[in-house]
Amino acid sequence: MAIVLEDVTKIYNPGQPNEVHAVKGVSLRIGKNEVVILKGPSGSGKTSLLSIIGCMSRPTSGRVLVNGRDVAKLPERFLTEIRRQRCGFIFQQFNLLRGITVKENIMLPLYPAGVSLGEIKRRTEEVMDLLQISHRANFRVEQLSGGEQQRVAIARALVNDPEIVLADEPTAHLDTHLSEEFLRMISEIKGAGKTVVIATHDPLVYESSLVDRVIHMRDGIILEEGQ
Amino acid sequence: MRRHLFILEFALSGLCRRRYKNLALLVAYSLLIFIISSILFLTHALKREAELLLQSSPEITVQRLMAGRHALVPVDWVDTIVSIPGVIDASPRYWGYYYDPFTGANFTVLGVRSSEFPLKGREDLDPEDCLIGSGVSETGLLRTGDSLVMVDPEGIARPFRVAGVFSTSSSILTNDLVVLKEETIKRFFQIPEGYAVDLVVRVANPSEIDTIAKKIKEKIPSSRPITRTEILRTYESLFDWRSGMVLSMFIGALLAFFIFAWDKATGLSAEERREIGVLKAIGWDSSDIMEMKFWEGLVLSSLAYLTGTITGFVHVFMLGAPLLESALKGWSVLFPSLKLRPVIEVYQLMVLLFLTVVPYMAATIAPSWKAAMTDPEEVIRS
Amino acid sequence: MILHPGIVALLGSSAIVNMMMLYSAFAGLRIIRYWDSKSSSALQLSLERRTYLLSSILSFVLGVNLLGLFLFIYTADDLHTQFVGAMCATGTLNANPIGWWVLGMKLVLFLFSAVWIFLNYLDQRTEDVPFVKKRYALLLVMTPLFVTEALLQLRFFLGLRPNIITSCCGALFSENSGGIASSIAGAPVRPMEYLFFTVVFLYLIVALCFIVFQMDFLKYLLGGLALVFLPVSIASIISFISPYFYELPTHHCPFDLLQGLYGYVGYPLYISLLLGTLFGLFPSLSEFFKGRSELPLRRWQRLWTTAGGISVMVFTAISVYPMLFSSFVLEG
Ligand SMILES: Nc1ncnc2c1ncn2[C@@H]1O[C@H](COP(=O)(O)OP(=O)(O)O)[C@@H](O)[C@H]1O
Ligand SMILES: [Mg+2]
Repeated sequence: MAIVLEDVTKIYNPGQPNEVHAVKGVSLRIGKNEVVILKGPSGSGKTSLLSIIGCMSRPTSGRVLVNGRDVAKLPERFLTEIRRQRCGFIFQQFNLLRGITVKENIMLPLYPAGVSLGEIKRRTEEVMDLLQISHRANFRVEQLSGGEQQRVAIARALVNDPEIVLADEPTAHLDTHLSEEFLRMISEIKGAGKTVVIATHDPLVYESSLVDRVIHMRDGIILEEGQ
Repeated sequence: MRRHLFILEFALSGLCRRRYKNLALLVAYSLLIFIISSILFLTHALKREAELLLQSSPEITVQRLMAGRHALVPVDWVDTIVSIPGVIDASPRYWGYYYDPFTGANFTVLGVRSSEFPLKGREDLDPEDCLIGSGVSETGLLRTGDSLVMVDPEGIARPFRVAGVFSTSSSILTNDLVVLKEETIKRFFQIPEGYAVDLVVRVANPSEIDTIAKKIKEKIPSSRPITRTEILRTYESLFDWRSGMVLSMFIGALLAFFIFAWDKATGLSAEERREIGVLKAIGWDSSDIMEMKFWEGLVLSSLAYLTGTITGFVHVFMLGAPLLESALKGWSVLFPSLKLRPVIEVYQLMVLLFLTVVPYMAATIAPSWKAAMTDPEEVIRS
Repeated sequence: MILHPGIVALLGSSAIVNMMMLYSAFAGLRIIRYWDSKSSSALQLSLERRTYLLSSILSFVLGVNLLGLFLFIYTADDLHTQFVGAMCATGTLNANPIGWWVLGMKLVLFLFSAVWIFLNYLDQRTEDVPFVKKRYALLLVMTPLFVTEALLQLRFFLGLRPNIITSCCGALFSENSGGIASSIAGAPVRPMEYLFFTVVFLYLIVALCFIVFQMDFLKYLLGGLALVFLPVSIASIISFISPYFYELPTHHCPFDLLQGLYGYVGYPLYISLLLGTLFGLFPSLSEFFKGRSELPLRRWQRLWTTAGGISVMVFTAISVYPMLFSSFVLEG
């Protein structure tokens, strides 16, 4: 999937004393099956940009083209629809729902999608096999180790078979071993033909060999792009 | 269609996960429905009892007004009334209230002639015999064969042998009743010869009742004819009014509850906010979240409604509404174990729905919208 | 006024509904003024979010409205014992004739809110929400009606005094007293039957033609027929349908049908009547409001028309059933 951002800005609390220009006129093109890194210090606007790319929030101005169609001004429910079909999110803290099982956590994105229970189960089992957590299917997430939780979080991001996987500081709370493990899984995701966008300032991630492009951000603008 | 079921299922699992928070709400909600359903069921059952009671009562009762109060009726009015076309017959009635100083209860004492004698298997009531209602039997600990002692106007205690007790299942009609022979009651209350407490009139054609009542009033200006439907109407408005009053007294409680519900719905825990944010980030729409919240409310309401109505039913029809006795029945101190006939109509259930579930759902609309508007960006940022 | 639990419930719910409607009208006004689907300003965003709340509120209002319609009839029925001469809901409504207006308003408001919810549903399926402003303009029209209905209802209940002497179905729907109701009941049965069956027949034919040939004018014709179908059917229920259920030529009451004594037949009867009316209206309304949206309207309109046709057939089947299968014959 190709995503094109044209002159995108994001302003929080416009017109108020605490107005923040988080993204300032960013233009960007993300091609199919690319692994793109958004790199930059804290507060540089990575998360804001990532959530615009992932159709989670709308830019204050500018155009966001998903496969050639401008989605920047779509009503929320259509944005949700696109997000539901095309995007998978991996959060900084795994953000799994406590109190329910691994399987249920992974199934959640499919509930409002209108697919049948059989289909939901089939896809859930598929991603659980892929990430080797089937043996934990009926455990509650708080009974799992950090590494396993990470796999569950990735499985949940993949269950709707998205074209693009977005991750915000995925390794911030992981040790080196788990971070490497994470990169290995990202390379598998890339191998499956998906686009990956990662916001991070962890050298281990942006210096990895599977990264196609690194986009360097500061104060809401793109400083430079590198390989 | 499927997605609604999945969202419902997830709403249920959410309720279970937050069971302590929801349990408090459920208990308060059920209690409220319990109270209101008890009021509605009891009123309705009492109205029903009154209706049944009046079915067997005379079409017209004639009283006499003297100085604006009702006084004893001369028995010779009977002849005047019987001469009105359409009247089958008229007969004097002897009855009164008796305050029992021993138990502090009020009895209704009624005189009967042998012809209308209600005891089966026996020809006649002896002058010293009485029949009592189950209420009287219970307060005085009396059984068949014991004696009921009543003090007459001169202060002389007179014993009456209990010849029978009306069964518990019969209604308000017999509960506080003491039946004596007509001559006995006349003597006991010292009713002067030629006078009765009131007259009852039987009418051939029910549609003529009102006309005949008017004619009686014309012929005997000091009389006060009361028709059966008039009494029924008075009873019904009395009950409606009472239950309306009691309901209004509970308005405070109702409001307090809905504010509580509002508060519960608004005060999302940090955990819950995070969950909603996560759900939205992974592809749930705000309307899906609102639907989830709607299901939560509906499930809670249904549970509370079921619990509340069932306990209300048990309270009113099996336990005799001990908690509402004084508030609603109110006309007599004596109401020990009146068993009401279980009658429930769709109407009562619908009124109950409007008084409880409708405001509850209304109170939770805005908070669940607020919750659904949680920004998913917040989640990835934290 | 009579203090009665049903009255407390009705007045309470009407207070809630009116507060919500007033709020919605206020929010609707802002939407009409500031809505700009091309903008992504904070204001537009907050307006869009507000629409979620308003849809929810209106769905709630619709539900309460429908239940309230039946609760009102039930309450009138329960109160009849308080009035001399009243034998059912009709007697209570006659005790203070504003009651008839309240009932009519409740019916109209139900139709309005159903149409609003319907338009909302369509609107949310388009990306440019083409009739959002029209929809909130409609809401602004509805709100005063809601307020009026609430005030009328309040006056109705305040004006009810026990022991009022009133007339009931017997007198009201009897053939020799004045008034619209009695002229409906007294109208010769045969012409009324012809009128009813003609309207039903036309409705079904037009629906069928539309499903097959899809000509545009047919949906407007169908909408018109749906609007005629509702009053004609109500008049027919009073005139000749209900007596068959009661098996009494003089009993014309439209409310007793809702009672258990007659197997609650009134519910399927009235619900199919309302559905038949609404589905008949949807194709033309959606056409009128569609703007430049790219909805698969054609397919949906056929679906609604089919649903409308089925509802009307169900309604007719229920009405005709006792005429065919009971020994009772109503002379015309
Ligand atoms: N909801 C918000 N309201 C106000 N300011 C915000 C909000 N979210 C983010 N910001 C500000 O926007 C800027 C960019 O934040 P962010 O996109 O999270 O950067 P990064 O992910 O690179 O740390 C920061 O200065 C942050 O304080
Ligand atoms: Mg960040």
